[in-house]
Order: sequence, then C-alpha cells, then structure tokens
Amino acid sequence: MITVTGLTKRYADNTVVDDVSFTLEPGTVTGFLGPNGAGKTTTLRMITGLVPPTAGEARVCGRRWTDLPNPAAVAGTLLDAGAVHPGRTGRTHLAIMAATIGVPSRRVDELLDTVGLGNAGRRRIGGYSLGMRQRLGIAAALLADPPVLILDEPANGLDPEGIRWMRELLRERADRGGTVLLSSHLLGEVEHTVDRLVVIGAGRVVADGPIGALLAGDGVRVRAVDAGALAGSLQAAGLTVSADGPALTVAGATAEQVGRIAAERGHVLTDLRPADRGLEDLFFQLTA
Amino acid sequence: MTAVLDRPATVLPTRPLADRRPPLARLIGLEVRKSLSTRSGLALTAAAAVLPAGAVGLMMALKDSPPTAATMLALLGTLVSMLLIAVGVLATAGEWTHGTVQTTFLAVPRRGRVLTAKYAGAALLGAAISAIVVASTYGVATIGAGAGFSWTGAGVAAVATVGAGAALTVVGAGIGAAIGNAPAALTGTYLVLLVGMTVLDNARPTWGKHVDPLSAMFDLVEGDATARPIAILAAWLLVTAVAGIAVTRRRAIS
Repeated sequence: MITVTGLTKRYADNTVVDDVSFTLEPGTVTGFLGPNGAGKTTTLRMITGLVPPTAGEARVCGRRWTDLPNPAAVAGTLLDAGAVHPGRTGRTHLAIMAATIGVPSRRVDELLDTVGLGNAGRRRIGGYSLGMRQRLGIAAALLADPPVLILDEPANGLDPEGIRWMRELLRERADRGGTVLLSSHLLGEVEHTVDRLVVIGAGRVVADGPIGALLAGDGVRVRAVDAGALAGSLQAAGLTVSADGPALTVAGATAEQVGRIAAERGHVLTDLRPADRGLEDLFFQLTA
Repeated sequence: MTAVLDRPATVLPTRPLADRRPPLARLIGLEVRKSLSTRSGLALTAAAAVLPAGAVGLMMALKDSPPTAATMLALLGTLVSMLLIAVGVLATAGEWTHGTVQTTFLAVPRRGRVLTAKYAGAALLGAAISAIVVASTYGVATIGAGAGFSWTGAGVAAVATVGAGAALTVVGAGIGAAIGNAPAALTGTYLVLLVGMTVLDNARPTWGKHVDPLSAMFDLVEGDATARPIAILAAWLLVTAVAGIAVTRRRAIS
C-alpha cells in the first residue's frame, strides 16, 4: 500500500510538485502519467526517500521510506535503469543487492533466468542494451519478492515480447495482492496494463480513479449497414450525431435509446458501444 | 484529489526479512566487495600492492648503500597512499558518478549508516593493501639485504604504514562523499596534495609541516615524529569524514 499525503517540493520559487495526494491499495496496477516536467519523477523520488519533500509525506506499507528497516524487501524499485556500474557484471550487481537485502544468492540466478538474462549474467553491464538494463532493473526490483513495486518507465527499450512479459508480470503481481505503481509515457502500454490512473500536470494531480471511469465518454458509438439513413433517423429523434468515418457518435444518448430507434426504423446495426475516449485524448485534455 | 482504491481479497505479504535491518558488518563487507568488483578497482588495488616490490628491488640493486627498511617503507608507503586516496575517492564519489548511489540509498536509506560502512570498508581495504605493501617491501628487502642493511624501527614503521594507509583511504572516501563526483574529487585532491602542499612548503615551510598529510605519513613511518603526524592525519580524517557525511545527508539524488 502506498499513501501520499500533501506531497510538495519547491526549489526556491519553483514548485515542481504541489500538494499531491493519492492512496493505492493492494491488488491494483496504477498508472502514473504526466507530460515531461510534470513532477512524476520527483514524486517517485520523494516516495522513495531520495529527495526530501518540502511538505507532506509518503508512506509505503504504513511507514516512511527512511523508517523502513529493509526497504527493498517491502518495495521493489526501478527508477533509473542506467543507475548501475558499467564495469560490474549483471550477476555481480544483483548479488551485491541480494546480499544487502539478505536474500539468498541462489535467487540471483533464478531471476536472471526469469528476466531472460541467464546467458548475459556474467557479461559486464557496460555491454548491455537499454532493454537488457531494464530487465536487470526489474530483476533487482523482484529480488525480495516484495509486495510493492514502483517502476519508472520500465518498458523503455523493451521489445514487444519484453513488453508483453512485463505486462503479465505486473498483472500477476497485482492479482496476488501486490501494489504496483507504474510511471510511463507509453500511453498505449499503460492503457493495456493498469486498472487505475493518477494523472499529474504542472505538479498537481489532475485526475485520479479507475481507468474505466476516466475513459468513459458521454454517448455511444454506432455502426450500421446504412450509416447515412441511421444518422437521419437519430437526428429526426432529436439526437446530436457526428460522423467519424463509417461510425456515428451520438452525444448524450444511451445504447438502449439508439438501439430502440434503430429497431423501430428497421436499421441493421453492426456495432453499438459506449463512446469511450482514448487514453491519449484524455491525457491531452487533462494536461493541456 | 484523493482516491481510495478497492482492497482485494488477498494481500501479498511482506517477507520476514522486511523487518531485519542489514547489519553494519554486512554493509562493510559489501563496500569492500564493491571496491573490488570492477576492473578499475582491482587494477588500482593490485598496483598499490604489487608495485612497491619492484621499486624496492630497484633501490636495492641500484644503490650502493640502500636506505634503512623504515625509510624505504616510508617512501613507498607514502607513494602508495596516493593510490589509496584514489581507492577511497572511488568508493564514494564513484557511486555518484555512475548513479549507483540511487540503488545504494534505496536499499539503505539511512545515509549516515551507509557512509559509516563505506569509511570502515575503506579503512579495511587501505589497511589490507598497506599490509601487503609492508610484506612485499620487507620481503624483497630481506632477499636483497646485504650485511650492513638496517632494520632499525622496521616494526614500528610497519604498524605506522598500515595505520596511516587506512586513515588516508578514509580521507579519500570522505573527500569523495563531500564532492560527489569522481573526476572532480580526484583532480581536486591531487592538486591540493601535490601542488598546493608544495607551494605551501616553499612559501611557509612551518605551516606545510603542520598541514601536509603525506609528509605526516612519511615522518610517522620513518620514525622522525609521532604526535604531530598522528594529529595531522587525525585532523584530515575527521574533517573529511564529517564533511562527507554532512554533505551526503543533504544532497538530493536526481
């Protein structure tokens, strides 16, 4: 569980994070979105004790990060895949982390295999691609099998197979009762992975809730064999219709309303669904 | 804006080790391991340990009347201490330069505790390398020593070399922690020790005698003085270590 209350960070007169609050319960994958410079990274760094807040506090599993006796056993983190010594091997990097946390060294080899670095573990990290460094960072976050994961742009550099693997990993984590906070600018990836969204713009939370509720639009989208005739019938019934290619968007209407009108007038429908907004539309609307 | 999210039927439990703070002894061992886990760290350490043997061999071979064992050790120990300062700097500033400080402080957020482990690890590594310097210097000297070779003060010199080597490695770690950038810390340190102290020695010889840590180490190992060199080394150790902790505790990790 992650609880953020009134978190604020000011540098001189510049407020980069302004009174940010949210609570993430176990069992959820939460997407943390915002444009560049919105305060995402600073918020994550305040949660993890790397940057002291000007005001407010963040608690992970009920305690501030700096009060956790062994934080890496409570929350696995991937904040910067580049924060590794290029001269060490991947295996040595993980072995040092495992020893710090108190995890048996056999876990290192297990995780190297899990993240697909089994054959690269004894190579120096300086020769790793960005995707391999991301995988190494994810392995480090999972060392202690912690109940909380905090990941900043974990899909960067991953190939499509790697992205799918990561998506399944995060979902499985949440399904087991874990709490996952995922910061990303890959909106498509977030839309397919998370079930909650916290959107930050200019340092403030501008949206916070289940992704389904945030993306739900006002009205329905409908397709018919004869879209032009259907549009005429809907307009005759007093509804506002706009055409979007072969599909019609009926503002303020329910699926039942549109379905009844179509049935009464003998239109053959091929699709009828709530007019959800895309995450991209929502993102630009909230952060513009 | 706040949203309280639904609690699931199951909650992934924290492991028992979540309540176990990593013991300081483990952190110290890990710091030594970190210093020796890269090729640059290993090369620096190996050079510090092995080069003196060659230097002693040359001195014994080329000089008609080689210096005493204590003087030889004072010379080589002081030269190696320059490398030990770099080992210390890299142990702390290297983490900031490579960004690994983030990983370190995420796992152990109490920065004073991390630096305590780093200082102790640096002291152990410095002492161990210095002990190897003593062994290799005396070993080669024993092989090449003629009838007139003097071993007077060799025991005290050995102890002083190990102690001063450990102290100067910690000095390097403190400087590295305070500056937080390996190239800047190394350049600054060597400018102060090699150029600054030379200028001071020429301009104000009395001041230089009371400030220069390398001269202090030389005097201590050679047996010329005890209290003054120990006080100088202790002052350097205290000031740099405290500065390193003070700056590190306040520095944000971006």
